[in-house]
Amino acid sequence: MKKIIYLFLLITQVFWAQEVFEKGNEYYQKGNFQLAINNYESVLASGKQSAEVYFNLGNCYYKLHKVAPSIYNFEKALQLNPNDTEIQTNLDFAKLMKVDDIKEIPQVGFGKLLQNFTSLYNYDAWAWLAVALAFIFLMSFIGYYFSQSALTKRIFFSVMFFIFIGIVISISSGISERNRISTEKSAIIFAEKASLKSEPKSTATEKILLHEGTKVFILESIANWKKVQLTDETTGWIEENAIKELN
Amino acid sequence: MKRLFLILFIFSHSIWAQQVKFEASTDRTTYGQNETIELVFTMNVDADNFELPPLNDFRVQGPIISLQEYNFNGRRGFEKSYKYYLIPKKQGVFAIKESQIEFNGRLYKSNTLKIKIIKAVQQQNNPYQNGAVVSTDDNLYLIAEVSKTNPYVNEPITVVYKLYFSYNIGITNSRELNKPKYNDFWSQNIEIKQPIAQQGIFKGQNYRYIILKKTVLYPQKSGNLFLEPLSMDIECQLPKGQPDFFGQVEVVNASKRVSTGNKIINVKPLPENGKPKDFSGAVGMFAFEVTPSKTTLKSGESLDLNIGVTGTGNLKLFTLPKPELASSLEMYDPQHNENVTTPLSGMNGTISDSYTIIPQEKGDFAIKPILFSYFDLNSNTYKTIASKEIHLNVLQGSEIAKSNVQNETAKVVANAKKTFAYIKQKTTLKSIESDDFLGSNLFYGLMILPFLTIPALVIFRKRKEAEDADVVGNKKKKSNALAKKYLSEAKKQINNKEPFYIALEKAMHNFLKAKLNIETSEMNKDKITQLLLSRNANPDTVSEFIVLTESCELARYAPSTSTLINKDYEKAVEIISSLQKQLT
Repeated sequence: MKKIIYLFLLITQVFWAQEVFEKGNEYYQKGNFQLAINNYESVLASGKQSAEVYFNLGNCYYKLHKVAPSIYNFEKALQLNPNDTEIQTNLDFAKLMKVDDIKEIPQVGFGKLLQNFTSLYNYDAWAWLAVALAFIFLMSFIGYYFSQSALTKRIFFSVMFFIFIGIVISISSGISERNRISTEKSAIIFAEKASLKSEPKSTATEKILLHEGTKVFILESIANWKKVQLTDETTGWIEENAIKELN
Repeated sequence: MKRLFLILFIFSHSIWAQQVKFEASTDRTTYGQNETIELVFTMNVDADNFELPPLNDFRVQGPIISLQEYNFNGRRGFEKSYKYYLIPKKQGVFAIKESQIEFNGRLYKSNTLKIKIIKAVQQQNNPYQNGAVVSTDDNLYLIAEVSKTNPYVNEPITVVYKLYFSYNIGITNSRELNKPKYNDFWSQNIEIKQPIAQQGIFKGQNYRYIILKKTVLYPQKSGNLFLEPLSMDIECQLPKGQPDFFGQVEVVNASKRVSTGNKIINVKPLPENGKPKDFSGAVGMFAFEVTPSKTTLKSGESLDLNIGVTGTGNLKLFTLPKPELASSLEMYDPQHNENVTTPLSGMNGTISDSYTIIPQEKGDFAIKPILFSYFDLNSNTYKTIASKEIHLNVLQGSEIAKSNVQNETAKVVANAKKTFAYIKQKTTLKSIESDDFLGSNLFYGLMILPFLTIPALVIFRKRKEAEDADVVGNKKKKSNALAKKYLSEAKKQINNKEPFYIALEKAMHNFLKAKLNIETSEMNKDKITQLLLSRNANPDTVSEFIVLTESCELARYAPSTSTLINKDYEKAVEIISSLQKQLT
């Protein structure tokens, strides 16, 4: 009985969140971006998320010229749905608004190629792909095992072989992607201005003055200071409350 | 000839006999800055090539050269002097180096002197000069009027230098001896073209005065700052006694050096309390405006962003705030314009920085409000003015214009064709704290399931093949299964004699009904036998079947044991199975 109530609550909650999301879309349509933001944020506050919610939020903040929240939400959406070109496009537009122009030093080599490949999909998507491939593997085994002619047997066997390789690749991609996400912590600067210091002290010398919207990678933290790396591989210390972590 | 030698000898002797004296002297060693030093070089021979030592710290006037021959108690003497007037440029101790002369091919050097120059002093002139009846002392005053002696840093103050003089003297000329240097002040002199004598009251008496000099000062640091005194040489005319024969008052020319005293200005620092972070030192009353030349333009085109401050205050002494723009809005160094006039009330006018901005990408950009803070002297508080947020709508410019600006990569050109995407209408919401599928039990289960199915499939097929191979056993099994189906009710009643036989009989009838398509009412021995035989049944089996049906009726009433019942059941199974096989 308890379970049923929980299930019921869960379902109503999902429906409620869905409705709030659609209401947000309506507000956006009317150009009332602040109300749309309130709606989308309340969806997130209820513990529900989707790439679309973050994407729409990013759009709202973009329209209101709020650089940091816009970039933050587009990045979030991209995390959930890495291959969406619309999200990538709008993120590029949002990035044009930020003040800092920090070079992105492209990572090269095999490792980067590998990472590009594994980040094609979210790690859960990789897992589902592996499961699907496992079932296709089973099917082709059945085809192989029960077929009569030598030709079909051969075809099914080679299909089985490739599918097995596919399973291995998707499981390992999923695992490495999850490792990458859990180790690579990124954040967006929310403070309008934040100085990157050479030491985790407020009196330390300033390396660069950063502005909102810039993406940083967190390397380590001490007290309320975070050691971060910029996309041009500059490192330094920044105050914790100046940034908002992406995961 | 001899005489000539004698004369020559005497002459030369007289020269050789006396020692060459060459010395430099001043009347004192300490002077006020406003005083003139009389530097005299004296020698007792008529030497040539007098060289003045370098006197860079003084303004030098002169020389006045004088020659003097005297006869003192029968001794003849000669004196030549070079007199210079030195006006000190600054305070301190200065050495006057030795000078040299040449006499009869030899060089002679003078002594060195040290002179100390102190602050300007009130001069102690002889009050009554040349028999004048009025003294310059009581009738000539140089006053520096300071508008405010305790201003804030960067608050303008004015210093007006006035020369008061009484009605009975006339000023013929004035000369500034030292221009006061306003260290720690930003200063602006206000030119006075023609000094006009005005009337004013000074020390309770009527005086005339002229304004000699006006200066606006902006203190640049806090603390007690000294205003250097201004010293002037005033040439004036003093009346001399009674009017002369023609009723004209005879005058004497006199000169007097006047100086304002040291003035101390106590400059207050700007309060730290409430000082805005971006305060750049502006003090006064200002209006702040940021205006773009246009707000809708194409990428690659330029616009001017004008950041201007208008008002009264230290306009030349602070920097304007800089705009912070998105990186794709390329901004060039500003052009600074100043349109500031400085009357006695302080600087007023407009200063502005004009930035040229060229957007590199299309999009909708905002120029964040720019803050300008100043210290308001009326309320003695800091005030911050924020400009309005400016929205720039950058449209797609021509690609050519863009590639001219900078070498864009193909990626950006491709990007230019993209537009900002509209929001997404549909979504599937998921819990934020949902567990990862990767690594979950479900994942492992679903992964392993197909692989477990494979051996199961193999085993199943192996068994099936084995069974398929055994054709007879298979058929038997099949008909047994059929018989068992019919006999299932009988089997249930195997322990009760009567219902068992009823069920058995019924089962056999049912079997016949299904196989031979006859009704129960039509059933009799002959017909059954005939039908069965006609369908290729074994006559033995048929007779056994008939026997069994008959025994069913009998057994219902006859005593029987459970072994017998079982036996009959087995028999029934066997008969039905065989019939099943035999019937076509």
